[in-house]
Amino acid sequence: MTLSADRGVSLRRGGARPPRRSEAGLATHRWFVTPWLFLLPALTVIVLMVIVPFVNTLGLAFTDSTLLREGEFVGLDNFRRMFDDERFTTALLNSTLYTVCVVPCMMILPLILAALVSGAGRLAGFFRTTMYLPVVMSSVVVGLIWTNMLDKRGLVNELFGTLHMVAEPVPFLSDRWLLLFSAMFVTVWTGLGYYMVIYLAALANIDRSLYDAAAVDGAGVVRTFLNVTVPGVRSTMALISVLSSVAAFRVFGEVYVLTGGTGGIGGGDLTMTMLIQREGTGLQARTGYAGAISLFMFVILGGLLLAQLAMQRKQRTP
Amino acid sequence: MAHPRPDPRTVAPAVRRRGAHPGSVLRYIILTGMAVLLAGPLVWQLSLSLKGAGEPLYTQPPKLIPEHPTLEHFSEVLHRIPVGHYLLNSLTVAAMAVVGNVVGATCAGYALGKLRFRGRGAAAMICVAALLVPSETVLISQFLLIRSAGLVNTLFGVVVPTLVAALNVLLMRNAFSNLPQEFEEAAIVDGANAWQRFIRVSVPQVKGVITVVAIFAFVGSWNDFLWPLITLSDEDKYTLTVGLNRLRGTFYDDPRLIAAGTIIALVPIVIFFALLQRYFFRGLESGGLKG
Amino acid sequence: MTSVRRPSTLVAGLALGSVLMTACGTGGDAASDSSDGKLSGSITFQTWNLKNEKFTPYFKDLIAAFEKDHPGTKIKWVDQPAEGYQDKLSADAAAGSLPDVVDMGPEAAYTLAQAGVLLDIGKADPKAESQYLDKAWQAMTFDGLGGGTYGYPWYLNTGPSFFNKALLTKCGLDPEKLPTTYDQLFDQAETMAKSCSDTTMIARMPAIETFGEYGVPLMDAGGKKFTYNGAKGVEFVERFRELYAKKGFSEEQLNNLQTKEVEEFKAGRLAYLPGSSYTLNDLKETAPDVYKNLAIGPRINNSAPNMYIESLVVNATSKRQALATAFAKYVTGSANQLVFAKKASVFPSSAGSLDDAYFTEDDGDPATVVRVEGAAQVKKAVVWWPPAFSGSADSETLREQIAQALLGKKSAQQALDDSVTYSNERLDANG
Repeated sequence: MTLSADRGVSLRRGGARPPRRSEAGLATHRWFVTPWLFLLPALTVIVLMVIVPFVNTLGLAFTDSTLLREGEFVGLDNFRRMFDDERFTTALLNSTLYTVCVVPCMMILPLILAALVSGAGRLAGFFRTTMYLPVVMSSVVVGLIWTNMLDKRGLVNELFGTLHMVAEPVPFLSDRWLLLFSAMFVTVWTGLGYYMVIYLAALANIDRSLYDAAAVDGAGVVRTFLNVTVPGVRSTMALISVLSSVAAFRVFGEVYVLTGGTGGIGGGDLTMTMLIQREGTGLQARTGYAGAISLFMFVILGGLLLAQLAMQRKQRTP
Repeated sequence: MAHPRPDPRTVAPAVRRRGAHPGSVLRYIILTGMAVLLAGPLVWQLSLSLKGAGEPLYTQPPKLIPEHPTLEHFSEVLHRIPVGHYLLNSLTVAAMAVVGNVVGATCAGYALGKLRFRGRGAAAMICVAALLVPSETVLISQFLLIRSAGLVNTLFGVVVPTLVAALNVLLMRNAFSNLPQEFEEAAIVDGANAWQRFIRVSVPQVKGVITVVAIFAFVGSWNDFLWPLITLSDEDKYTLTVGLNRLRGTFYDDPRLIAAGTIIALVPIVIFFALLQRYFFRGLESGGLKG
Repeated sequence: MTSVRRPSTLVAGLALGSVLMTACGTGGDAASDSSDGKLSGSITFQTWNLKNEKFTPYFKDLIAAFEKDHPGTKIKWVDQPAEGYQDKLSADAAAGSLPDVVDMGPEAAYTLAQAGVLLDIGKADPKAESQYLDKAWQAMTFDGLGGGTYGYPWYLNTGPSFFNKALLTKCGLDPEKLPTTYDQLFDQAETMAKSCSDTTMIARMPAIETFGEYGVPLMDAGGKKFTYNGAKGVEFVERFRELYAKKGFSEEQLNNLQTKEVEEFKAGRLAYLPGSSYTLNDLKETAPDVYKNLAIGPRINNSAPNMYIESLVVNATSKRQALATAFAKYVTGSANQLVFAKKASVFPSSAGSLDDAYFTEDDGDPATVVRVEGAAQVKKAVVWWPPAFSGSADSETLREQIAQALLGKKSAQQALDDSVTYSNERLDANG
């Protein structure tokens, strides 16, 4: 796409950039130290506070440790246990399904919303703030609200009943799959404002002459959106697809609050993070087992990410 | 819009001529609908906090308008909890988080997005890996670290694990590498060093994303409950989110009181966001790209 | 819980995990407990969600009086908010920074005692036993850990059953014949299901303590293995299954926790609610319509009614063990317990305190009736929850497994077997 304002970002090294980009533009530095000085504060915090503790946790994955008892090396026992655990299979399926359904919504809907809001004239400030409200609400409040709305006697079912759309109330909160979809809806509901903010910043960087050119060509709203806006934020969209996949696969809060913290009837709506939380927190925590599940999840997410990067690379090279 | 000028992005003549009326009416209908869907539940919470004692709370269907509206739950919250003191603690933590993330993520994002050096890929991978780490699994480990560093029971200890979040580094990296190279190249020709180019050329162009980072850092630190609870042991160091948990009774809860507490906790974030988003857009117009 | 106490054999030999070796953080001065038994130094005392308008003056006075009686001592009182207490305890336990005296239930105490972090009161202070109700002392005595007693019993809580008379009448039941056993409850629940489709009698899945109330043996004699998957346990789950099949228990309710149960009762869709002394006033304030139709009966049980216990444990690594022990014993002494129980509407675990006129004399006020009957119930009640059934993971697994049995995905036997296996594994992993 030649009109693209996208400057080709990705999470990969510079060497894999599209050929049209001039590599000379990236300043090669005389001092080897300068870039590292820029990175120093961030890397210190991230390595010390995230990477090191995580490596510690992963070490436990091969032991039978509990929170209060240092375990012994047990090899792959925890992983064997994991594949025998019926809750693990459920959680893996649920988290995967969640990711597949939520990510496309997160990539597209907030962008449409951002495009609408950024053109809302005087009221844009009001709408921006309003749309952001769900993001800042605590998950407890969000859960309270949506369980009330989606309950068998809740507002949504009442509305459906009044409109004669359903004969029986829809069991949003008790059917295994409906509950999962309801949670997805809540995720999208909170995520709209969150990702909208990121998109708003990206939209502002789109070269305005492209909109003028589209207007001169007589492009309508939809075509302008598809031909100018979407390509203009493509790198941001790629970033959001990464961020929202990670968030979706690790979903915890939305399912947790809709089920009242139970993981659904018979545990049918457990997600990976809920399982890790159940096994890995509390005084009796089996930290070894929880570490094994965490390691597995980390590998899955890493794989997912690499696949996404490969796909983006493929799209970019014509 | 926060400013009186028309928005240059939407005034493309053809678009405007073609569908000004039906188009913008539709736009406002959609936006208003979304606003109701997104903010409506908050109104419900507000209504709950205003309902008087003895008013039934569990009727079907729920009543939105309180029968006996009262502000007593708000004064009760203020009476029971040193809201001012906790607010100050929360603001201190949030300020540190905002500064840490804005400075740390902007610098790191610039290095990853604009400078070329050996090990860049590795540094980026560390940030991506950190993004994948589930926070639940590292909580105790982080606590032991903070404890051995002697930062337990300090506000700084509360902010340390999120002082620079990997997510924000990646956001800034994206923003910087999206910038066109021309300015940077011109600056190199002028003999500017990396620091000068960073401050004078690149940073002004990514103000919008910096604002996003500031907002995320603020909101994240404001709503965090478990980590401050675990690190802090003295009550006078509590942040507002932890302190408001005092409204939960030992043997039973008053939902109205809790609702009033959540509203109180929400006000500062909404103000922070409302203020920043104005600045954010002014910044975009002055510093953003003009074709 | 067996009622025979075994001598302590195991406790002293329990190895400590290396993380636990760090001594606890008592910001004490240099003085140590002197040999003549005079107390000195400073300790930290941690309560759970008791620092508020209602209780703060009580604890301030309590501490001031103790410090006055024992010059040279200093008690630092910290209180943790309602949420996240387990997480806070976990972090402190892992870091070896538990306070000297800590307020917790027997299930948290069990895991900590298992790791060797708690003082065996039965050994350190054997005379204390006579000062508490026998059943309270037994509840803190852990057979699975060699019969050591790992905490001073503090307050007890139990409560009546509340019924919605209007619903009972509407659905073909007689409000004068309230159920008192589980069999009656199930029968009435089935009658209600037949005549009313939108209201139910029961709204919550059985928890481990309800198994106890039904008369299911929960653990083996040594306190090492769970046994609730026996014939009696299966029978209990089968009763629920029948009720579910007859629509006396809805699919949504398979997931209910206590908050949801209370909400349904308040909304007038549920006829029966097991509650505490607080429920009465709560109903009056937030659900006046239901309050008008309230009937109160004893707690439903086939064996003995359930009660809950809270205790004060002493950190075994405390540098001021004598002081910590003395203070914990002082707080749980009968005089102080009585004052606290009156303030908090709970019941004292100290011997003889329940004979106080406050717990025996009926003045006709509904709140007094609830209290007096509650106190009488404490005398019959048992702390059913086995201390070894620790943490929420065990409870959640039990509920999930029963739900699967009710949905027909598993037999009742299989579901209980799976739940027992899970809990036994966790217990062993921590042993």
